[in-house]
Amino acid sequence: MNNVKIKSKNLNVYYGEKQALFNVNLDLNEKEVTALIGPSGCGKSTFIRCINRMNDVIDICKVSGNIEIDGVEINDKNLDVVSLRERVGMVFQKPNPFPKSIYDNISYGPKIHGKGETKSELDEIVENSLKKAALWEEVKDRLNEPGTGLSGGQQQRLCIARAISVNPEVILMDEPCSALDPIATAKIEELIDELKKTYTIVIVTHSMAQAVRVSQKTGFFHLGKLIEVGKTEKIFKNPDNKMTQDYITGRFG
Amino acid sequence: MTKEQRLKKRHNAEKRFRFYGLASIFFALLFVLILVHNIFSKGSSAFMKTAINVEVFYDKDLLELEPGASEEEILEADFFDITIESLLKVYPAKNMDEEDALIELFTTDAEIEIKKAFLNNKNLIGKKINLEITASDDIDQLHKGNYPRDLPEDRRRISNFQLEIYDVLVENKTITKNFNNYFFKNGDSRDPEIAGIGGALVGSFYSILICLLLAFPVAVLASIYLEEFAPKNKITDFIEININNLAAVPSIVYGLLALQILLATIQLPRSTPLVAGITLALMTLPRIIIPCRASLKAVPPSIREGALAVGASKFQSVFHHVVPLALPGTLSGTIIGLAQALGETAPLILIGMVAFVVDIPSTPIDPSSSLPVQVYLWSESAERGFVEKTSATIMMLLSFLIVMNFLAVYLRQKFEKRWN
Repeated sequence: MNNVKIKSKNLNVYYGEKQALFNVNLDLNEKEVTALIGPSGCGKSTFIRCINRMNDVIDICKVSGNIEIDGVEINDKNLDVVSLRERVGMVFQKPNPFPKSIYDNISYGPKIHGKGETKSELDEIVENSLKKAALWEEVKDRLNEPGTGLSGGQQQRLCIARAISVNPEVILMDEPCSALDPIATAKIEELIDELKKTYTIVIVTHSMAQAVRVSQKTGFFHLGKLIEVGKTEKIFKNPDNKMTQDYITGRFG
Repeated sequence: MTKEQRLKKRHNAEKRFRFYGLASIFFALLFVLILVHNIFSKGSSAFMKTAINVEVFYDKDLLELEPGASEEEILEADFFDITIESLLKVYPAKNMDEEDALIELFTTDAEIEIKKAFLNNKNLIGKKINLEITASDDIDQLHKGNYPRDLPEDRRRISNFQLEIYDVLVENKTITKNFNNYFFKNGDSRDPEIAGIGGALVGSFYSILICLLLAFPVAVLASIYLEEFAPKNKITDFIEININNLAAVPSIVYGLLALQILLATIQLPRSTPLVAGITLALMTLPRIIIPCRASLKAVPPSIREGALAVGASKFQSVFHHVVPLALPGTLSGTIIGLAQALGETAPLILIGMVAFVVDIPSTPIDPSSSLPVQVYLWSESAERGFVEKTSATIMMLLSFLIVMNFLAVYLRQKFEKRWN
């Protein structure tokens, strides 16, 4: 069992009047993949967006409770979100490369954080990030072409490479394969398996099969509440909660 | 109704709609064609001017100049006598009245033209040279075929004697049509043959430049702040509504505002491009903010999130990603706003740009005219020569507007990036 990297305590999230998360207590382990499953609108994405404070950009969103990374509270007004997001990267549901070259997509993060002072250092970061994202072989000859010209699966790997480029500790993935075909999905899943050696990964997914394939730990959300959390094998083979059982067998959701 | 009938009805509805659409396009094109034809047929002759070939003798006794005279001496010298002498040589006049009639065939600026030719070539002293002296407005219009010569003499501005001279000149081919450089070079004048849009061009240029320098940065910064940074609350809603309202305020209201504040209170100089530029900037500001905000809004939120997620600050995500993507739309919105400002007349009339200004302004604080105001001024003038000048000025104004609009479309198509 790995150490706990991220710890949420009594986390409540409100969008205006509507409460989206109710008292979520969830521990995420270091260098492990945690899958979050549940029907649409159950708060999975809201939860992971709390970890890198992406909910800040939504005016009406209010977060109360605690989230600790390595024992340090991050749900704190005085915390610098820029350095938090440097440590906690994110990959979105729809690939969103910048409409710039592949090289610029990757080098942007390191540049703004002052990593890679020289051109050769940046080149190295770009190459390493693309290699880690298993995209290097496909794009090494066309780094100056626009990132938006790649296929959907390649774009998503480019976004993963972009997240890796600033050398984060945690990578959040919000349904990263929902816009991809099965072959591209398989590639991303392989990649996640490889990345978990270095990074703590949290993935939101609608595919049970994907959760089984990639994760070590699974949390089931329903209507803003964390219903059950445990080892992936246990959740899918022998869940404690009747609702979890119903969801994974496809009886609702 | 059977299935066939319903189907037929549906097809007929579509056919009718297509017909209405085509008919509307046809009517729109027809009106544009009428407008363009009207302007071109009236205005194209203004780009030519009529001149009469005259042999000028730079008599050093009449001029009282020695060879090698300095520029100052030449400027002070009196060219009137040699001008009269030269012009009278064109046709034999029997008495004073006929001499006057002969001289009336030429522009009142004939003396200046003869002086200028001498300033360009000071070796002419004591020599003869053939010069193309601009004809008077009446002869100009007659030669262009705009003047009816079959009217009885007492209802004509050209006498029978003058017509007689004209016919001889045409036969001798001493009367010619040349490119009308005065139209572009000169300022306004009471005499149509030497009136030009030079002053209006420079005045419009300064006004639009000042308008751009003031309106563009303010509009862009205001848009970026409102769209990206401002909290969404009642105050920003109120500001937004007011910007939209301001864009719809009639331009003459801005003219009144400028009259009260810029001229009466701050006492800026009247009829100047400076005041015009500030007034136009006030008017253009909301008209730039609206397209600018629209193009910022069109940048997908995923781009902002992507930047924020790698740890860019709000400022960095806006200025590194959102603004460059919104720039083509912003620029084309600005150009279209400026094009509107270029054609604006009412506020400029109120701030006194309607004054009769002969000199071409050298700075933005010199009194000046502007293109649309020049159109307004000339369209009010009685002289026949100003009819073609008015249309030609409209042609110039329209071509500037077309160029600006093309530029706007080009910028948008060339630099707009596509994303998924």
